[in-house]
Amino acid sequence: MGLEAVSGTDARRLLLGPDSPVRSHYEDLAGRLLSLGGIRSLVVTSPEPGAGRTSVCVGLAGAVAGMGRRVGLVDCNLGDPRLHRMLGEPNFVGLTSGLEGDMPLEHYGYEVAPGLLVVPAGPVPPDPVSRLEHEKLVAAVRSLEQGRDLVIVDGPVAGGVLSSPNLSEGFDGVLLVVHASRTPKSLARETIDDLLEAGTNLLGVVLNGCT
Amino acid sequence: MTSTERGDWQDGRRDAASLAEVLHVLKGRRLLVVGASLVLAGVALLFGIFREPAYTAEAVVGFAPQQAPDDENARQAFAQEVFSAITSPASFSEGVRAEAGWRGTPEEFGDRLDPKVAVLVDGDMEMRVAFSGREPEGAARVANAYAEAFALEAGRLGEGQLSGGTGIADARVLRRAVASGGSGPPAVLYAAVAAGVGLLLGGGAALSLEGRTGGWRDVRDAEVTLKAPVLGAIPDYSPAENEV
Repeated sequence: MGLEAVSGTDARRLLLGPDSPVRSHYEDLAGRLLSLGGIRSLVVTSPEPGAGRTSVCVGLAGAVAGMGRRVGLVDCNLGDPRLHRMLGEPNFVGLTSGLEGDMPLEHYGYEVAPGLLVVPAGPVPPDPVSRLEHEKLVAAVRSLEQGRDLVIVDGPVAGGVLSSPNLSEGFDGVLLVVHASRTPKSLARETIDDLLEAGTNLLGVVLNGCT
Repeated sequence: MTSTERGDWQDGRRDAASLAEVLHVLKGRRLLVVGASLVLAGVALLFGIFREPAYTAEAVVGFAPQQAPDDENARQAFAQEVFSAITSPASFSEGVRAEAGWRGTPEEFGDRLDPKVAVLVDGDMEMRVAFSGREPEGAARVANAYAEAFALEAGRLGEGQLSGGTGIADARVLRRAVASGGSGPPAVLYAAVAAGVGLLLGGGAALSLEGRTGGWRDVRDAEVTLKAPVLGAIPDYSPAENEV
């Protein structure tokens, strides 16, 4: 069953359940990521839509939480938010609500597993791209680092990250998701070059959809 | 297997294929590369084993005009004229075939025969005749018969038969053909060359296929291609995902 062809309970079971067939793979990813050291927040992006950013975000967050750590997961893909759909949750409030409101961002999220706080995108504004440049965005998201070991940002595609200084420079690193059969090699190479040339701290690549 | 090494991989662009990537591609498609090499080598080996042996023998006839023409072009024209005057009549070839005991067709005889005339630096002229036969002795016999007949006919050429108004002062066989033992490169050499060509063709095909194929076979493939550490590999559980 496809990890993102499902949503709600099925997605939670596949990505967050202790008996998930992909759990060990996400635990490996989490272990390597945490072993890099000094990474408290990271943006997950991909060269193109369809690589599986959101499922990797959820699976990675679940694996880190499963290690007994506290994790925050924020949907910053304001142009096409998917995190709430994958988890089968509403999107009445979320990141955009936190940017406009006075309360800490964690008040607009919910726990989907012990130690795993999810903040959906919230109501999508008419100009989602410009909202990524909100002056409070980085501070609001990074405020989740308080009391948490890792904050994962489900970002837009790499072009959106590169065009947003908040996303490309505001967090500790960038994780690139490529799909084993869908992502063109040339596009993946170009994306890595562009990210590095832009000065982002590219942590590495996640190969999604391996056979 | 995944890697967590960081540092040098962040330097340099990824648009040019590195030697390591080429070797990785060739390794991944080694069946194609080795298969192409083996097939070509096998075909070449069979060709080398079963091809008809060809033994080439060469004889040389020297001749000189009674009065040497003034310039190089005139000497060249004279030599060609002598050659044509001697060899054009059908009776010449018939005589050579009869003398050499040739049992094949006249067409095959012509195909195996390779005569040339040339003007040397000192003004002397020579006719070299090479003949390729199935047996070394037969090739030498035909080449010698041709050379002897040429020398004999050259001596008989009268002044009136040549446009330059001069005859042949001297014509004789300078070097007789001898039966040689070699019949071309050995079959193993054919196979070795073909194996090399097969490696090149198979390698080219592998690189071409790799360029057309999207995606990665495994983590190692992705790391070599992207020149970046792959921190995780997540398996696919669906033939058709409705991805983000």
